[in-house]
Amino acid sequence: MYLHKPMSLLAVLLATLVGSVDARTVIQNKGSDTLVNVAQAWAEAYQTVDSDVAVAVSGGGSGTGIAAMINGTVDIANASRKMKDKEKKMAKDRGQDPVEHIVGYDALAVFLHKDNPSGTMTIEQLADIYGRKGKARKWSDLGITVPGCKDKIVVVSRQNNSGTYAYFKKAVLGKDKFKNGTLDMHGSKDVVDLVEKTPCAIGYSGLAYATDHLQMVCISKDGKPCVSPSVQTAGDGSYPIARPLMMYTNGQPEGAIKAYMDWIMSDEGQCIISKKGYAPVRPVQCN
Amino acid sequence: MFEISELNKTNMRVERLYRTLFFMMVLLLVLPVLIILGTLIYKGGSVISLEFLFTSPTDGMTAGGILPALIGTVWLVSVALLVSVPLGVAAAIYLNEYAGNNWFTRIINLAIINLAGVPSIVHALFGVGAFVIFFGFGTSILAASLTLAIMTLPVVIVATRESLAAVPMAFREAMWNMGATRWQTIRRVVLPNAISGILTGVILEVSRTTGETAPIMFTGAAFFLPFLPESVFDQTMALSLHLFVVSTQVPGVPEALPYGVALVLVALVLIMNSLSIAFRVYLRGKKKW
Repeated sequence: MYLHKPMSLLAVLLATLVGSVDARTVIQNKGSDTLVNVAQAWAEAYQTVDSDVAVAVSGGGSGTGIAAMINGTVDIANASRKMKDKEKKMAKDRGQDPVEHIVGYDALAVFLHKDNPSGTMTIEQLADIYGRKGKARKWSDLGITVPGCKDKIVVVSRQNNSGTYAYFKKAVLGKDKFKNGTLDMHGSKDVVDLVEKTPCAIGYSGLAYATDHLQMVCISKDGKPCVSPSVQTAGDGSYPIARPLMMYTNGQPEGAIKAYMDWIMSDEGQCIISKKGYAPVRPVQCN
Repeated sequence: MFEISELNKTNMRVERLYRTLFFMMVLLLVLPVLIILGTLIYKGGSVISLEFLFTSPTDGMTAGGILPALIGTVWLVSVALLVSVPLGVAAAIYLNEYAGNNWFTRIINLAIINLAGVPSIVHALFGVGAFVIFFGFGTSILAASLTLAIMTLPVVIVATRESLAAVPMAFREAMWNMGATRWQTIRRVVLPNAISGILTGVILEVSRTTGETAPIMFTGAAFFLPFLPESVFDQTMALSLHLFVVSTQVPGVPEALPYGVALVLVALVLIMNSLSIAFRVYLRGKKKW
């Protein structure tokens, strides 16, 4: 048995693999798990707008996207939080110049099990449940009895490189830290799935992940009447825990990236984000 | 006249006990495999169709097929094999046929064993640092496949070495006595006789590479790509990551879809394994000893 044949076959294969060069422009888009489904929908729809440009979408969390921007391995980084000054400096030191674009708004919905009777909460009550300084460990501490639950609150949170985690911490806890013993899930969908099945649970995620099988808390801040999360209340700023969703480009966008960013900001692009359950940056008419 | 004593009876009972016990252990091993396959077929079988295999995902990945992920996995595995098989087999040939039993060889052996023990996430981070950033391949099939290749190299080396060592020394001595060089011996006698064992290593590598998620997540696999990869410098979707994505990241996915993706992934590994095993059996039939 001779081994010449397989060897030459390998060489031919390798040559074909490396040899084929294509004219297609690829935009690398990576980051926030909150934005990833919108980014995917944009990429999917953009095929019909310009078939010579392909958008490659990856998730991993806002931190992942920002790190890739700092390392210069993406064209557009998605983030559901602002880049920190330290991160901007790191990017500058490596020759990148991140420019921020607000592409939409997200209401952070607080979820409860369907059977939980409390439909309204204040920011202080949330801080009491989630914060390290907070005292609420049982539902009875808040004067609530939840059917099917033995009173202890199951506190559901996110992993610490998530932008959702960072924003919730800032908006609800202020300077306090998260309580020890929270269940940290690796995705908004996991939070929703868990709260749906657990009567004792409370969790949070972007509004877009809400399902009919759980209830969303109406939230009041500073003694004002409570506001329910919706695309509308996130967009007009009346819902107390809504945040901007960002895309970072390296320098002012040019060429294919500019065309893509412009399209995202157009009525067509903004209707897609609105259809995914987030608020567009300005009122748009969609069919 | 021979009579069964109490002692004989006890021994026989103990014998039966252990035999049953060990048999139960075997059943216990097979059971999870059957349960997993059964669940996947029961829950995911309904989504499998030619259309599922040969169309792209649509509607925010809640509908449509898995073609880009399927093709992507084939790319990743093939390129990884192209790198690791020649490299691994060559290294194994050197270690088994040429290297003396000295401190240098022992250090290399130790390194290979340690390489096999490195967790896949560490390989992933190494891949990002080395291939994506330092060599500048970017997040691409090339970077991901090289990472996979390094991760699975020990499997190929160890399997190849063992099958080379299984070729009787007398075969080599006979060749040498006829005046053949080492390389002639390796090419005409040792490798042909060891090929079925080498294939076992390749099978193991294929199985492991197909299912790996961590090493490709940061080095080359994308959440979504609107095109099929055309060169090793493209990013790609992959079945394993696609399974992770549709089961944890995308809201509103029909329940059967993730099971369907998992079923395809498992079936792909099983089919590749069976093909290689069939080939091995065929080769073994041609063995002369």
